[in-house]
Amino acid sequence: MTRMTQADRIRSDFTTLTWVMIPVAIAINIAVGQLIYALKVPLYLDSIGTVLVGVLAGPWAGALTGLLANLIWGLSGLNVTYAPFAAVAAVIGLLAGLFGEAGWLRTWWKVILAGIITGLVAATISAPISAYVFGGVTGAGTDALVAIFRGIGLGILPASFAQGVSSDPLDKTITYLVVWLIVRALPGRFLDRFPRAENVR
Amino acid sequence: MIHIENLTYTYPRAPRPALDHISLDIPQGQFCAVIGANGAGKTTLCYALTGFIPNFYRGKLEGRVQVAGRDVLTTPLSELAGEIGLVFDNPFNQITGARFSVREEVAFGLENLGVPREEMLARVEEVLARTGLAELAERSPFTLSGGQQQRLAIASVLVMRPQVLVLDEPTSQLDPVGTKEVFSVLRDLAATRETTIVLTEHKLEWVAVFADRVIALAEGRIVADGPPHQVLAAPDLERYGIGQTRYTQAARHAQARGLAAPDKPLPVTLEQAVAFFTSLMSVAEGDVMR
Amino acid sequence: MSSYAAFSLYVARESGLHRLHPLTKLALTGFCLFASLVLPGAWATYAAFGVILLPLAAWGQVLPLLLRAAWRTVLPFALSLFLIQGFFWTGGTPVLALGPLSLKREGVLFAIQSTGRILLIVSSFLLLSLSTRPDALMIALSQRGVPTGIAYIILATIQIVPRFQAKAATILDAQRSRGLETEGHLRQRFRALLPLIKPLVLGSIVDIEERAIALEARAFSRRGPKTSLLVLVDSPAQAAVRWLLLLAALALLAARLFRAI
Repeated sequence: MTRMTQADRIRSDFTTLTWVMIPVAIAINIAVGQLIYALKVPLYLDSIGTVLVGVLAGPWAGALTGLLANLIWGLSGLNVTYAPFAAVAAVIGLLAGLFGEAGWLRTWWKVILAGIITGLVAATISAPISAYVFGGVTGAGTDALVAIFRGIGLGILPASFAQGVSSDPLDKTITYLVVWLIVRALPGRFLDRFPRAENVR
Repeated sequence: MIHIENLTYTYPRAPRPALDHISLDIPQGQFCAVIGANGAGKTTLCYALTGFIPNFYRGKLEGRVQVAGRDVLTTPLSELAGEIGLVFDNPFNQITGARFSVREEVAFGLENLGVPREEMLARVEEVLARTGLAELAERSPFTLSGGQQQRLAIASVLVMRPQVLVLDEPTSQLDPVGTKEVFSVLRDLAATRETTIVLTEHKLEWVAVFADRVIALAEGRIVADGPPHQVLAAPDLERYGIGQTRYTQAARHAQARGLAAPDKPLPVTLEQAVAFFTSLMSVAEGDVMR
Repeated sequence: MSSYAAFSLYVARESGLHRLHPLTKLALTGFCLFASLVLPGAWATYAAFGVILLPLAAWGQVLPLLLRAAWRTVLPFALSLFLIQGFFWTGGTPVLALGPLSLKREGVLFAIQSTGRILLIVSSFLLLSLSTRPDALMIALSQRGVPTGIAYIILATIQIVPRFQAKAATILDAQRSRGLETEGHLRQRFRALLPLIKPLVLGSIVDIEERAIALEARAFSRRGPKTSLLVLVDSPAQAAVRWLLLLAALALLAARLFRAI
């Protein structure tokens, strides 16, 4: 029996079910993100769908979900400023796929760890984008943090990074926990339908 | 057109088979209805005819299924799509969402098949007319009623000119108006005899009028197979959870009261019921006049 | 046309801009994006905005919409930039004192430059969205080799999102009427999240199976050339413009690299 090539693996990840799941996942990102905003909870929670796709359909599907989610969010006019962060969202989806492959979605403390790591990576990649494209500010309530960090003398890029590090890990940890709860609530025969069902069984 | 030989299928992790040694032959152009209680295997049979079993659902499968000259079990779904069409019960989930107007939604399947544009335009207009959607052609599919959306689903599949059309309880989520719209499309389609139709339904009154043949399923096996007036009036199907049309029920009441002979053939349609009760009345009048 | 009850900014107009091929407009957006990151100084981006985007928006009859959307998006950033980078610029030359804080000249210049950059990026995206039918853009990309699955994702998403938002609102109302606390303490609001998210997500996931079956029934997974009902109109002039934009972008990059500008 020959080992699957990387190309084969990618093709087998992109079943019709995967293609159908991605728009639904992006819609979940947007709807939940808006719900959070309406409830005035100081989180983003705009990557639940992305992480879900990564876990159930592999890293490339997850990356595609994140990338397109941000581009659509940008082109829709609802929040144009999401578009430059498409690369960050793609990495979040990619990481979710890798953590899924490593079986981290099976134990609760590994789920939390995955969230923390994803948050740190997201903050690291976002900081230069935020600094160069947006002058280091977020245009939202989190700018209070940026002000503090700049006030104590941090440069633009470090302040951006510090702001990211103080909000992203918590946000992504909660995201991963929600995904973990969702996956546990899905019936087994339904989970089996997904290309990477073994990640969560 | 359809040839099933000893088909036995068990869903993954299921304790018993959903289909148990089914053998069935359906000739071209026939309108065949499949009835049965919930869980009898009607939906599973639809999936087996259209290749979703085993290509989509996996599980354990034995036997042969040939539709339109193709071995369904080994042909990829993308090749079957143009030959065998499937319409199921939820109208909303059959809207792809990839197109903004009814016309474009109908054309979606043809675009995937690579049909040349000129031909696409003609076929789409023809199908829109046949399904009564011509006036709605510019509307967004999401703004249609349930019955309209279900007709759109049928149109989107019919435009691909399948030899066989399988419909799994297409009216179960529709109101009476929507149900009538869908059956009216099916009636016109059946009249052309161009397409073989397999329909699973609970609404037996409609089945009685339109179907050429009725197959009753129970626990994955065929328990009755014949013309509607025979299967739908059969007395012993109740133990399988299969009901009867209101006309048959009314006639059986008459029989139970001694108003009709026990061997008199029971009606399954309105027409037959009228004839049945009229003949009872003339017998009664005859008694009175004597 | 009321077909666009979708998550998209597109507004139909009888304008020359709307009739342009989607790739031409995409090329313009790409050029503006590139320019916003490469142009030096604080004022060049404003010049590009005024000279390129405003006239095009006027031509496309979307100028008021563009300005309103741009203002709404850029304003929070501009405010944050002037306040934060203006007041907290490390070691700059103060120009205005407000109590213990002072506005720094370098900070203000930086804020002006960043705002200009954001303005150019956001406005070029807005112009593209306002004047381009999403499905036309997707067809144009598919014709150039982008997999049709991606076109499907984008178009399906923008039609599904409004339905999802409506569903989320319904679930919010239903849970509220069952006594779910969505106001008050942060902890309460936070606890309200899961009973809101769970039905939304689980309900939609189960539909996925049927939607995949419906797509298969339309030969979605067939490999091979696909045709299109909609036809896009292109012209040699537009193709030339697209090449020019590419050359201009490269020239800009070269000038910047060789410090000519």
